[in-house]
Amino acid sequence: MSTRDLVLAALFTAIIVVLGLIPPVPLAFLPVPITAQSMGVMLAGCIIGARRGALAYVLLVVLVAVGLPVLSGGRGGLAVLMGPTAGYIFGWIVGTFVTGLLAQRLVSESQPALRQMAGFLIAGVVGGIVVVYAIGMPWLSFITGTPFDKVVTGSVVFLPGDILKAVIASLAARAVMVGYPLLPQRA
Amino acid sequence: MLNSLHIEGEGWLHRMGTGWKLFALLVISLVLTLISNLPLLAAALVASLMVSRSIGMTERMLWERTKPVLLTIAFLALVNMLLLSPREGLVILLRLPAILFFASAVTASTSLSAFIDTLTRAAMPLERLGLIRAADLGLALGLVLRFVPEIHARYGALKDAHKARGIPVKLHRLLGPLIISTLKDADSIADAIDARGIRGQKSRH
Repeated sequence: MSTRDLVLAALFTAIIVVLGLIPPVPLAFLPVPITAQSMGVMLAGCIIGARRGALAYVLLVVLVAVGLPVLSGGRGGLAVLMGPTAGYIFGWIVGTFVTGLLAQRLVSESQPALRQMAGFLIAGVVGGIVVVYAIGMPWLSFITGTPFDKVVTGSVVFLPGDILKAVIASLAARAVMVGYPLLPQRA
Repeated sequence: MLNSLHIEGEGWLHRMGTGWKLFALLVISLVLTLISNLPLLAAALVASLMVSRSIGMTERMLWERTKPVLLTIAFLALVNMLLLSPREGLVILLRLPAILFFASAVTASTSLSAFIDTLTRAAMPLERLGLIRAADLGLALGLVLRFVPEIHARYGALKDAHKARGIPVKLHRLLGPLIISTLKDADSIADAIDARGIRGQKSRH
């Protein structure tokens, strides 16, 4: 991995930390407020690709582990990584990788704008929602003993917000693709 | 902006090696996950509070540090009580906070540099396999911490610029410029690192 790739990953980790400092936006039609930080998985995968994006999230998890409150709401420390929602946090690493792989396959610079946005949206939904939930929900069920089907039912509350995040992330990813394309230069 | 959760001190847990602390935490968590005897779990919870106290962490600080996770646990315990049995709910209400408090005690008693040293050493076998360079970890973490305040200030400036022009501040309008302006610095930062030979030879590829 070149120095530039390392720097890009570290800068993206810093962006994700900053997104956690922005106060959550409550939306009238959603039961849970939107935190900008949870968009990071989709943004990182779509903008810097699979390997650099996953590295950005490895760095984030290491920062959490060493006791820095880098997650939204000032959360951090080993307690977060051992709690019932830790599966989602580890899921971010895999989710970013999958988002990145899909974005690299589906999106290229020569495509029309709509096609690019659709590609980013699919990548974000699969990597940022399906993969993250697929790791987070079994962990939660395992740690707490709550039946898996009930965990799945309960998670539905978060789905509309997550889909909205995927839409916003695909808009932002496309803006970056036009302004400063990084995805095609694979790490 | 990003104050470490480390608490200065000289107690027994502070002096214990980081690797041993992490290993002990892992063993304790596994054991607590396997037992579901209520008096034993209650004893573990009391022990976790005593350990936290012994390193200078009051119950109030503990609450402030673990509030979001504790609330999640309380909610899930309630779900379990209603869906399964009151006992099932009580088990996780004792077990998970105990694990949480032990973990918080390790976090509070270990400095950032001790953690990074231990991680770098733990990454050495991976370096021998040619997968990563252990020293890169410290470099990358340093970069993140160095740039968080700068990117945060940039976000504030973008917000002000939107306000000054009468455009409503919306996240989806700010993300593009924020990310582009930040990542554009990557080349010059990478050149600066390579020019100083911080990563050693052959660092370009």
